[in-house]
Amino acid sequence: MFSSQNLISIGIAALLTAGLYAIMSYGLAIIYGVMKVINLSHAGFLMLGAFMTLVYFQWWHLDPVAGAFINLPVFFVAGWVVYRVLVRRVATALPIASLLLLFGLWLVIQNLAVAIWGGEDQSIITPYTYKALALFGFRIPVTRLIVFGVALAVLSVLHFALGHTFIGKALRATVQDPTAGLLVGIDTEQISAMAFGLGTAFAGFAGSLLTLLFSFNPDFGGSFQLKSFTIIVLGGLENLAGVTVGAAVLAFAESYAVLFMRASLQNVIAYALLVVALVVMPGGIGQFLQRRS
Amino acid sequence: MRLSVRAVFAAFVVPALLLGLVATGQPASSEIKIGAVLPLTGPFVASGQYFKQGYTMAIDEINKAGGLDVGGQKYTVSLTILDDGSDATRSRSLVEKLVTDQHVNFLLGGYDTSLVEAQEVVPDQYKIPYVEGGGAASEIFKRGYKYVFGTLASIYNMGKFTTDFISAQQAAGKLPKPLTIALVWENTDHGKDYETALVEETQKHPDLFKIVLNQPFQLNGSDFSPLLQQVKASNAQAFLSDAHLPDFITMHRQYLQLGLYHQFVSYGGRGPDQRGRQALGTGADYLVAAVWWTPALKDPASQLFTEKYMQQYHQIPDWFQALSYDTARVLFQAIREAKSLNGPAVRDVLSKLVMRNSLLPGGVIRFAPDGQIIAPYVMVQNTPGNTVRIVWPKKLPEARDPILPMPHVQ
Repeated sequence: MFSSQNLISIGIAALLTAGLYAIMSYGLAIIYGVMKVINLSHAGFLMLGAFMTLVYFQWWHLDPVAGAFINLPVFFVAGWVVYRVLVRRVATALPIASLLLLFGLWLVIQNLAVAIWGGEDQSIITPYTYKALALFGFRIPVTRLIVFGVALAVLSVLHFALGHTFIGKALRATVQDPTAGLLVGIDTEQISAMAFGLGTAFAGFAGSLLTLLFSFNPDFGGSFQLKSFTIIVLGGLENLAGVTVGAAVLAFAESYAVLFMRASLQNVIAYALLVVALVVMPGGIGQFLQRRS
Repeated sequence: MRLSVRAVFAAFVVPALLLGLVATGQPASSEIKIGAVLPLTGPFVASGQYFKQGYTMAIDEINKAGGLDVGGQKYTVSLTILDDGSDATRSRSLVEKLVTDQHVNFLLGGYDTSLVEAQEVVPDQYKIPYVEGGGAASEIFKRGYKYVFGTLASIYNMGKFTTDFISAQQAAGKLPKPLTIALVWENTDHGKDYETALVEETQKHPDLFKIVLNQPFQLNGSDFSPLLQQVKASNAQAFLSDAHLPDFITMHRQYLQLGLYHQFVSYGGRGPDQRGRQALGTGADYLVAAVWWTPALKDPASQLFTEKYMQQYHQIPDWFQALSYDTARVLFQAIREAKSLNGPAVRDVLSKLVMRNSLLPGGVIRFAPDGQIIAPYVMVQNTPGNTVRIVWPKKLPEARDPILPMPHVQ
């Protein structure tokens, strides 16, 4: 169990999982960062992203990766509409209002999916679903490699856009200080709508990529939502770059924990990390390390 | 005077009659009300739908034949199904609702073990017979309930049956001796039953079996890759997992993605399920499963059921539909033999019942004193082209040689 071969193998798997976790948490982080709203409908959009990918696959034989890129604009528009019609009305109310609204929205999406696709497990099998690459004596599943590569590429583009475009800078400014943003002429209302659209687009995108790895049904996404929340808390709630760190910490913790504890307790890792992060390092790992040094 | 007699009749006798009806809970019409709570949404939705189909088929048959004969009177049978959303707490309260609000005469069980365990507290409280075909853990029948009967042979027996099969293959030179096993099981009474049987057999026959990894996993898990990394590191020759359908699909998909290979792979009772085969494609080929029933059984009753089911639902039935169909038929036979709709009377008949035209291997259903069926399993192996062959017990005329060690599938 503790052979170097096994430890490296677990490390590779953890790294690939971290890419997946990062891409599925980014949407949640953007929305929280800009609006201070915890998007409880995130799981619903992840699931809907998976089902839309199934539709593209069944109707046009479209690969899930291509489906993910189609989902980006489709879900951006959907998120923008949800913000304008629903979320805007509770954006300045007490947090419980947005929590309940978005939880309700999740249930509506879930039931819509049951009505349209039924409640059974669905899956997408591509020619590379069961293929693996042999590298330096390690077998790496092609699907995990694709998810990692695509996630890395999209997150790099996002980081570039956040740092070098007007909208990206406006978004970051709003995350850091919404009032100051307003004072320097940023239309925070538009930025909020854009952030909700972008967050939803990332959920739909991640949902597509998840179909490469998992089967799914209308209940899909719930456990990933908890993990996403843990990740953004670990990364520092208002720190977009911290998401990658949070994703890596959770993925490595989950993967190596199986060496020391029962696999049935795997989900406890996320809960335990969430509690520890909220109590010991509410500003995230980065701020915690800075304070220590 | 005549007026006062009418008044007395209206004031006392009519309400008394109505009250009597309410108190006994008997329906006014010649109808038998049967209730069932099934997971029609949530993780077990596929199995819940299959159970609904099986129950409906059995009830439609009875009604088409003019109803159920109870002591010379024909009763039509109605079925009320409620959806528990695969949630145990909701499941229990809905069964109670069926009894108190819907006044059902009898209960058919839900699916799976965890939900049946939640439901089974109600029947004894109200003395209403409850026959289930969706929970197989022996723990269900260790709680001393008198009104609970199960048509699924225990998971403990499934584990023993699997080791019997393996040892026969070892004797035939198809599997190594001792066989090193990576054993994973869902963290429920269902999984615990399977693990107990495997561990006992390993202790009894150290020359035949050696467990090199023994790990429980969370029911309805989302990612099994860390666990499967451990399976890989254990270098076992066989991989045995006790999993329900959704976990089987997720786990085996990830098993194949990680490029794992074992000479013998079994997910307990999963593998030949149509849902699993659609979800996994060729990845499910050559898996071996111990099942309660299979359409590959060539006896006339099984063939007739398969034909009828395919005509009605246009798909191949799995054991879920066959077992639920038989579960309803067992209840009907007990009501018929009891010649009464009285719960305790039907319960007494169930405890001694011998049903001889069952679909199950051997064709007979009878219950042990604890209420669980005494019945054998059938070992099947998936073969390419969405086909299944019976590979054990050898005495069955349909039995063929298993393809072992399993070929590599991609």
